[in-house]
Amino acid sequence: MEEFPKMEKYTLIITEKPDAAERMAKALDYKGKPEKVEEDGVPYFLAQRDQKLVLVPALGHLYTVVHERGRRNYYPVFNFKWAPRYSAERGAKETRKWIEVFSRLASNADGFIAACDYDLEGSLIGYCLLKYACGGKETVAKRMKFSTLTKEELEKAYEEPLPQLDFALIEAGRARHEVDWLYGVNLSRALTLAASRWSGKYATLSTGRVQGPTLKFLVGREKEIRSFVPTPYWSISAKVEIRGSTYEVEYETETFEKRVDADAVVEACRGKPAKIESIESRKIQQNPPIPFDLGKLQTEAYSLFGYTPRQTSNIAQRLYLEALISYPRTSSQKLPPIINYAAILRALSKEASYSKLASELLEKGQLKPVEGEKDDPAHPAIYPTGNLPERELSPPEKKIWDLVVRRFMAVFGEPAIRQSMRVCIRVDGHRFYLRGRRMLKDGWTRFYKPYIRAEEVLLPTIQEGEEVQMKRVGREDKFTKPPPRYNPSSLLQKMDEEGIGTKATRADIIETLYSRGYVAEERIMVTDLGFDIADILSKHCPRVVSVKFTRELEEKMDRIQTNSEERESVLIEAVHQLKPVLEEFREREETVGQALSKAIKKARMQERIIGDCPNCKTGKLMILYSRKTRKRFIGCTNYFKSLCTTSFPLPQKGTAKPAQRNCKGCEWPLVYVRTRGRRPWMLCFNPNCPLKEERRKRVEMQGLREGS
Amino acid sequence: MKCKVCEREAEGDYCELHEKAYRNIVKEYDVWKKASDVSWKQYLSEIAKNPFTGLWAKEVAESLLSQTK
Repeated sequence: MEEFPKMEKYTLIITEKPDAAERMAKALDYKGKPEKVEEDGVPYFLAQRDQKLVLVPALGHLYTVVHERGRRNYYPVFNFKWAPRYSAERGAKETRKWIEVFSRLASNADGFIAACDYDLEGSLIGYCLLKYACGGKETVAKRMKFSTLTKEELEKAYEEPLPQLDFALIEAGRARHEVDWLYGVNLSRALTLAASRWSGKYATLSTGRVQGPTLKFLVGREKEIRSFVPTPYWSISAKVEIRGSTYEVEYETETFEKRVDADAVVEACRGKPAKIESIESRKIQQNPPIPFDLGKLQTEAYSLFGYTPRQTSNIAQRLYLEALISYPRTSSQKLPPIINYAAILRALSKEASYSKLASELLEKGQLKPVEGEKDDPAHPAIYPTGNLPERELSPPEKKIWDLVVRRFMAVFGEPAIRQSMRVCIRVDGHRFYLRGRRMLKDGWTRFYKPYIRAEEVLLPTIQEGEEVQMKRVGREDKFTKPPPRYNPSSLLQKMDEEGIGTKATRADIIETLYSRGYVAEERIMVTDLGFDIADILSKHCPRVVSVKFTRELEEKMDRIQTNSEERESVLIEAVHQLKPVLEEFREREETVGQALSKAIKKARMQERIIGDCPNCKTGKLMILYSRKTRKRFIGCTNYFKSLCTTSFPLPQKGTAKPAQRNCKGCEWPLVYVRTRGRRPWMLCFNPNCPLKEERRKRVEMQGLREGS
Repeated sequence: MKCKVCEREAEGDYCELHEKAYRNIVKEYDVWKKASDVSWKQYLSEIAKNPFTGLWAKEVAESLLSQTK
């Protein structure tokens, strides 16, 4: 290893990511112009303050839990250690250079400060680097604690650091990684080995401590949907005409279980005179919303913009790194006065679109936010720092920032007052209701306006006893609907309610379920493989998919943070629980392997299905291979039953897979073709597709033009 | 025994998954009968073509219909 150039002693500040290091260096350097140094592609920053500072970024986790010794293809494994990621993961080669730079810089430092994000992961990243890369400096290092990357807060965190690392947080972080490793490695190996020993083919299968119970929720819902039988019911639809305008009205009984009863109402009311019997009006006070924690922000962003929880989390993280919002991975729904509401509003008022609203709040004098119940000892709820963007934000970043800003302003607003009206219309002994609503006082909604979804329904001026005209009375035939499918946002909420996973990991767990092929589609549908995995786990190791057990383990790990539980005892319990499960699994490995192999084979077949056969209408078109020539083509599954001989040629080079969408010209399913050196393209294999005809004519015309 | 619909292992006529759907079909027939006085066969055809019927329930209804033909 080459020797790091000697220089005067300095304090080494460890940050979590390069962006954070740069921002921190700018904030701490007395001129605001730190020197950027790059060594082996690893950037770090030299800043001058009361002493020389060297700020080095990590790349997230540089250390991970690994099997202490032994082969990869067996289980159970309970002996583990912490090791550099480059020694354990194929894609983490780059981390070697980073660790080496840390080690070299540490050798000449006389002070150490951990300045990673103040949470489980951040504390653990700093601890591992200090312990392993800096040669046991975790006991002497100080800790900077901050919730935003603004200059003021970073300076304060540097001037008043915690005297030592937060070891309770670190122990809790270590326990989580170690318990997750024990579960993930053992169960995933058990599944993968069972399948490959039986079939002789390798396929990566995985499950984990939180992944298993999450898949179980989804399977439970999918079973309800797939075995759902709708039942009929009826309702009355009616319209009334008042002063030339038509309004929808509701019948007093919402649903009828028998069609004859609904028919009787229609018969009794059709063509009969109607009179306004009563007008009721009431005022409803709507309090401001509570500040965003990460879960609430993810839910709101999904419902307003369709961003998945992971996308929102990533965007919020970027905004945090640019010091535009506070630390987003928080469970808190509280905004303590220490963040200085007025200063933030004053800063926001410099932005034209917030100027009027922010000034209005500042004029109120006393600012008191509405808050939720949840708290987080490490960070407040998500709030804008007051800094304005230094660059043009991307549209998604702009949307999330605007949402956070407007929500922050809304929590200081007055309650909104709505008026709700119910007009009762009597027709021959039957009652219909006309409903209206309007805003009397917009209060906090003025600050949150683009994101308010309630519409106003204004009613005309009417009086009791007035006669009106029923325009239409009819029966509506309806059916009960199956329960809705989860989407990434509602699943995240469910995980939160059930207390499994952490705010930092839930979104990733959902993505893993997609990437393993256990679920598909935005409205989450469990695949056959997902069903089989959940079924096998429920039968052979029910404890690992038990929500109750997972929640209990989560609670124990949380208690480590408050020093009311020890990491060692949680680990011992995890091993104690896991051991019999794995032993039992091994005994049934052959049965499980057979079931898994079938499931994988079925899933691979499913992946090749392109769509319904346009000729026989009952078979499925799929990508097949000729036994004789080994060439691929599209054929109908009914060919094997001698019912359909439909087939279409496919390009032989590159890869071809179902595109999961249909041709715009003929509605036939498309095939996605990828060939080396060419852009991927969509193939419509319908020889009579009108788009092909158009293209042919275009080419012909072009040829004629060129010829003439 | 094999499930009449999907050929998975079954203790009776249906596997565990289709059995649940079958039980739902039998249970909901009472509601349909009370509501609009349909016969068992009419009921099965109705639910087999209803867009809200779950996949497994549809498969069981179609299998039952083919037996009644």
